[in-house]
Order: sequence, then C-alpha cells, then structure tokens
Amino acid sequence: MTPEQFLEQLRTQFGAALTEAEAKGSVLLLTTTADQGYAVCKALHDLGFEYLNCLSGVDWTTHLEVVYDLSSLHHAAKVHLRVKVDRADPLVRSVSDLWKAANWHERECYDMFGVRFDGHPDHRRILLSEDWVGFPLRKDYTDERLVPYTDYGLEEKQAKTEAGKGAPKPTSAAPKPPAPPKPPAPAG
Amino acid sequence: MSMTTPIPIGTQVITERLGETMEEMYVNMGPQHPSTHGVLRLMLKLDGEVITDCIPYIGYLHRCHEKIGENRNYVQIIPYTDRLDYLASMAMNFGYVLSVERLMNQEVPPRAEYMRVILAELQRIASHLLWLGTFGLDLGNFTIFIYCFREREMVLDLFEAVSGQRLNYAFYRIGGMAMDFPDGWIEQCREFLTWFKPRIPEYDALVTDNILFQKRIRGIGVMDGPTAVNYGLSGPMLRASGINWDLRRNDPYSVYDRFEFNVPVFDTCDVWGRFLVRRQEMIESVKIIEQALEGLPSGDIQAKVPKTIKPAAGQAYVRTESPRGELGFYLVSDGTPKPYRYKVRSPAFCNLSALTEMMRGCLVADAVAILGSVDIVLGEIDR
Amino acid sequence: MDAVSRAVESFYGLTTAWGIPWLIPALVIMTIVVSIILGYISVAAMFLIWWERKISAHIQVRFGPMRVGGWHGWAQSIADGLKLLLKEDIIPSRADKVVFVLAPVVVFAAALAGYVTIPFGPGLIVRDLNIGILYMVAISSLTVVGIVMAGWSSNNKYATLGALRSAAQAVSYEVPLVLSLLGPVILAGTMSMGRLVDAQGGTWLGFLPRWYVFPQIVGFLVYFTCALAECNRLPFDIPEAESELVAGFHVEYSGMRFAIFFLAEYANMFAVAAIATTMFLGGWQGPLTTQLPLIGVLWFLLKCYFLIFVMMWLRWTLNRLRVDQLMDFAWKVLLPIAFANLVITSLVVAL
Repeated sequence: MTPEQFLEQLRTQFGAALTEAEAKGSVLLLTTTADQGYAVCKALHDLGFEYLNCLSGVDWTTHLEVVYDLSSLHHAAKVHLRVKVDRADPLVRSVSDLWKAANWHERECYDMFGVRFDGHPDHRRILLSEDWVGFPLRKDYTDERLVPYTDYGLEEKQAKTEAGKGAPKPTSAAPKPPAPPKPPAPAG
Repeated sequence: MSMTTPIPIGTQVITERLGETMEEMYVNMGPQHPSTHGVLRLMLKLDGEVITDCIPYIGYLHRCHEKIGENRNYVQIIPYTDRLDYLASMAMNFGYVLSVERLMNQEVPPRAEYMRVILAELQRIASHLLWLGTFGLDLGNFTIFIYCFREREMVLDLFEAVSGQRLNYAFYRIGGMAMDFPDGWIEQCREFLTWFKPRIPEYDALVTDNILFQKRIRGIGVMDGPTAVNYGLSGPMLRASGINWDLRRNDPYSVYDRFEFNVPVFDTCDVWGRFLVRRQEMIESVKIIEQALEGLPSGDIQAKVPKTIKPAAGQAYVRTESPRGELGFYLVSDGTPKPYRYKVRSPAFCNLSALTEMMRGCLVADAVAILGSVDIVLGEIDR
Repeated sequence: MDAVSRAVESFYGLTTAWGIPWLIPALVIMTIVVSIILGYISVAAMFLIWWERKISAHIQVRFGPMRVGGWHGWAQSIADGLKLLLKEDIIPSRADKVVFVLAPVVVFAAALAGYVTIPFGPGLIVRDLNIGILYMVAISSLTVVGIVMAGWSSNNKYATLGALRSAAQAVSYEVPLVLSLLGPVILAGTMSMGRLVDAQGGTWLGFLPRWYVFPQIVGFLVYFTCALAECNRLPFDIPEAESELVAGFHVEYSGMRFAIFFLAEYANMFAVAAIATTMFLGGWQGPLTTQLPLIGVLWFLLKCYFLIFVMMWLRWTLNRLRVDQLMDFAWKVLLPIAFANLVITSLVVAL
C-alpha cells in the first residue's frame, strides 16, 4: 500500500480525531490528541507498522508531545505520529503491549518529561535515580546546581560577521562567566 | 543482609515489584564488574544455577547529552556525538550530520560522501574487533583479545593520521568533512586491508572453529525473529534472528547503494548467530572499503554552508546503521541556531531492553556470554 | 644412586658410633631431603611463573617481562615474590581466622607431600614406596580440602561457591585420572614409581623407546586432560575465573598467602607432569643413561617441562568450559573412555 492509501484508510477510520494527516514522500505525518493516541497506534500496528523506531517526548511550552516514529520491514512507508499531551496532567495510554520496544522508551519519556503512561508494566525512572525530583528535559526545569550556559560572546560575534561588518575588534575584557553556584549543603 | 530481608531498589522494595517470595537468591552484577562492559548493573534472580529474572539498571553514565544539545548550536554538538558510542565515533558523527543535512536539505560533495563511507566502514571493523576481543576475554580466551587489538591499533593509526585523534574524532561536518585524506593515507589503508584479510581465518582457527567456544555459546540467549522486531532490536541482533534487515541495503543513505556487499543473515537466533553475523560483517566492510577507495572521486570535501547553521523550522528523524544497529537522530528545529529538541535513538538502548527475555532460563555462567553478545556501550545507552 | 645410599649409611654408622639414638640422624636426613625438595620447588615455581609469562606473551605477539634482571626479565619472579612478601596481611574481619590461615598451608603441604615418590633420576627418589602411584594420587587429592577451607573461611558467598565448584570439579576428574593411570600399572605389574621407570627401559625395533605412551596413547590423553582439571588450569579454571560471575576461592587472599596458593598451583602442575612423565613417557629413561646415570635427571626434567609447556600453551589458546559442561565431560566422556582403556589393556595383558 502506498502512503496515500494508508492515509485514506486512517482518515476514514478516525476522521477528525487526526488533527493533522499528510503524506510527505514516504513518511506519513500524523497528529492526534492524547485520548486517541492509543487507538491510532493500534490501527497503525494492525496496518503492518510492526517496528517502533523511536518514542520521544517534546516540550512545546504550551503542551507536551509524545512522538512515535514507526516503520515496517515489509514496505517503505514510515509514520511520524505526534500525540499532543496536556502539560498540567500529562497522561497517555502506554503502547508497550503493542510494541515491547516502547517499554524502555516510555520510561525514559516519563523520566525526562513527566509524561505518565497508563498501563505501563514497570513505570519508574530509568536514567535518573529513583528519588530524583523534577523532569529535566522540560523547558522550565531549574536546579540550583545547573551552571548557566554561556558561549562567551560567540553568538554575538557570529551575528556581527554575518552582517558583513568584518571581523570585530577584540574587546579588552572578555565577558566574565558567572560564578558557579555554591555546592548544595551536604545532606544529613 | 540475610536472605529474608527485602532488597530495596531506590525507594521500592523488590518483593513488591516482582510479586514473588524471597526463596530465590539475588545476585548483583556490577556496576563495577569486569564483564558488564561499562557501568551496567544487573540484578539476577537465581533459582540454583538458573536465571529466572534479570533486571538491568542503567543511568550510571547519564551525562545529560540531550539537554546539552538544546544549548549548543548544530556544529558544537558534533564532538558530543563522538562520546555517545565512543567505540564507533565515526558512525555517531555520520548519523548526526546526516540528520542535520536532511533538515537543511543540504547537498554533500561526492568525495565527502565516499570519505564518509570509508571511515564509517573502517570504524565498523574497529568496533567489531573490539567486540570480538572482549567477548573472547569474557569467556576465558585471552589471546584473541590481544590479536583483535593488534588489528584495531592499525585502524586507530589510520584514524589518527586522518583526524589527529585515536578516539572521539569529531571529523564529520555538516555538508562534508573536516579535512581531506593526508598524502599516503589511501596506500596505508590498502596495506591495512591486505594485512587484515588473512586475519579472519586466523581468528577462526582460534575461536570460530574451536569446539569449546561453540559449546559455550550455542543455544543460549535465544530471541526469535518476530519478538526481536517487536522489541525494536536492530543490527546484528536482528540479523542473527533470521530477519534480513540492514539499513544500508533496505533504506540506503549516503552512497551505500553504489556498493556491492552481502548482508549476513543467520537464523540460529542465539549468541552463536550474532557472533557469526559480526564476524561476517567485518569481511563485508572490507569489500565496501575497497570499492570506495577504487571509486573515490576527486574534488571538494566540504560544501558551501552558511557560517551559522540555521535550518528551517521542522523536524527530521534520520536512521543509519551503526555497528550496534539502528542509530536514529530526531531533531526538531525552530529556526534558531540551536536545536529545539535533540533526541538520540540508541541501538544498544533498545537491544539491552530485550536482555531480560534472553536471559530467562539460562545458567549464570551464560549471563556473561549473552550480555557480551548484545554488544552494549553504556555511553549511548545512558547518553 | 649408590653414592647417595652409601653416604647415608656411613652417616648412620658415624652417629651410632658416637652413641646418638637413631632418631636424630633420621631427622637430620629428613630435614636435608625436605630442604632440597622445597628448594627445588621454590626455584622451579619461580622459573615456571616467569616461563608462563614469556610463553603467554609470545603467543599473544608481545614480549613479556624484559627488564628485571637484564636478559628477558629473568628476575621478574624474584621481584614479584619480594613484592608479595612486603604486602599488608589482610584477614577479613568476619573470616574464620584459624581456617583462613591454615588453608594455604594445607594446599601447599598436599602438593609438597606428593614429591616423595617422584623419581628424578636412577635411584634419586626420596622413598620408593611399593604403593608409589596410589600414594601420590591420594595425597594430591588433599588439595581439595585446602581449597574448600579457603572458600569457606573467607566469609564471602562467592568464594564459597567457587570453592565448592572447585571441589566438585576435582572430585569428578579424580575418577578417570586414576583409571587411566591403572593402564601402565597393569603393563608394568607394579605401583612403585621407581620400578615403573625401570620397566620402560630399552627399545622396540632398535629405535622406538618402550615408553607406555605408545601402547597407552588413549590413557595418556585422558590422564593429561584430567591433570589439567586437577590443577584448575584453563579450560577447567572455573574456580579461579575472575570474569565469571563467581570470583575464585582465593578472592580474599592477598600478599604472601596468595603467593602460597600460587606456588602450590605450580608445584601441583610440576607434580602431575612428573607423574605423566614417569608413567607414560619413560621417566628418566633416555640415551646414555647407562654410561652417565646423572643424565637421567636431564631427560626427566626435559620431559616434564615439555608437558608443562603444552599445559601453558593450551591455557593461552582455549577458552573456559561452563561448569555443567565440565561435569558432563568428566562423567559422560572421560570416564567411559578410561574404563574402556582399562578393560582393553587388561584383556591384552591377560592374553
């Protein structure tokens, strides 16, 4: 089946639940909401997309997103499915019963973004320690131990040379990096 | 700690999680252990000598790679990708650079494409040699380790000549390569290939044809084809389970479609199959390198790219075949010089998730062999 | 040799003439003999350690010790021994101290006691017992006791498992070992080591020596395999393997105690090679032994060290067997072969 045929079938099955659906080359770009996510995944699984390449989270500051990259070993079509998840209460049904590969990927998504996967057999953090507080890959993640990044004026310098003003004269004093924060008081 | 006190994992107690009684014994392997190939912790649940469950704990080498990526511009990320799978740095660079080029629709000059393939295949040979050496070492064969490292040193010498580094090269650039081959490098490469081709029969005499070696690794760590696909396994793990799937052949990238090579597929579904696949892949890589050296075009090695790399807003997931399997880079760009989201799909991460299923029912002594056959590198698992 | 026995006799005569009771000269003689044997074992073990490092290096395309002492690092073992002597003596706090200290002693003593019946040359045996080979096999099996003591007293679950595995391995491989040794015993009609070597003198057809390895080739191969297992050498070194899940039985030992285990292993290796040489390769028999008896010592040592070389060669070429495969091999393969060898030998001798 061609990507267009897959698209047709999905459109007839889900209609408006697929907020975006288009085919770009051999990739189907789909977007849907959190409550329809599992159903769409199941439909795709039954259509023959038996290989879950990647499951990642993205933090668009207004909402979170779980992105599924699916493919098949038997036809060239690929799927790029984005499931929009509410930021305040990120809950989506786990697809680890459809693809066992999702097991660890969902754990990592929970670890980094805080998205909870309903029905996951082993819902705990994977990369960070069990007692970590916070979800690091969210854009609003702060930690007193984080050292703010500075590129020592590189971006400015690049913008200036791009604007054709020639190489800027070296400044007499390079911007000092901010002092690193004091290490946290030892626990206990 | 007596046998009846529950073992805490972080804040959860292991008895609750597994729902079983404490009559079986728990053995902890790692995170520091000669055979776990990095800082991996395995909690094995044993019933006598038989493994009934295996719980891997990762994250000891988590270095916030993806968060760092969000704060660096696209070129600055290249040295970080080296340190993902530090045993296959060229492949990591390759995958990342391809994904940025896909986002930007950037063309790469033909000489750079051929250089990329040559270096990636040399890296595949080096990675598999290291795997073979350490695999033999785990099983007690010290000599194969030294032999494989002797060859690997020659590959590292080639890499040092071309990039100045023995490890962590940061050699690929968006739109091409950092530098051209130095004078005499191609002859040196050909000399290496001439030296390397009779080495595989030498390793065969030492391990492949050794009945003790075969007895140790046949029939353990079984993972059949459909389950392997469901687990998202890739690379030699998949091809040893009878699934003919190699991204260089099935979803070609760069100039791989111009080369003639076989994809080794075995259907033994066990550690022996994976061993044979990787051994054969080394031979096939030699073929690819020879063809690439033959057809190496002249010309530029770097296309014209803007000083600041600012891909248009969009996203791309690009997958390449690293020595461990399917390496994927998922990049989301918002039009700024820094990526909005940068995710690495690591092959060893997915391969390791299947370890529990492969270990069930095997003996404790097989745990080391099965773990060795997965060919993990904690750098890319933990990122 | 006659000169030695005459010297001993005259020493006894001298002390009796002086009115000293027989116990004293007997003890003096025993002390001298034991010192000679201990001295030999120490030097031999040091040499073997250096040699093993050299052999492993050359198999692995590298050099091995090259600096200590000048020529190819010949003094490396002496340096290592000195280093081990100077290390801190650590005993785990919850270990059973008495057993912990005694374990290496037991292992070394068992290895040492077997040297009593090894014929180094014509007449050069400490005591040519009638039951020579039986005594050697019995005493060498006492090393297992020492190993279990070491594993148990370490208060370490992994060391205990390793020690028990080692005991199971040693006991399993004892049976085919003894059965394969019965072949030469039947052919010679005696268990005495000295007379076994004498029975292998002369040649067939003028050039082929009458060594028992030729009619008993199967027995020799079975014996050699079992000897590797008794010494815990690769491919049977599960008890010592560090990269396996279970660490070895000597994991809690450091410094001189560890050195004693190490010495005992090499002493054991020499002892099993000596048995193989005596029973199968003709002991000290070789050209020119009638004209120049002392050259027998040279032939004996050459044969022993050749077998040890083969043992080391195998260690650096092969990989480890899994524990259950090890046991299978002993009970299902070696034991039937050894038994068949014994039956056929007996039939041939009887007919």
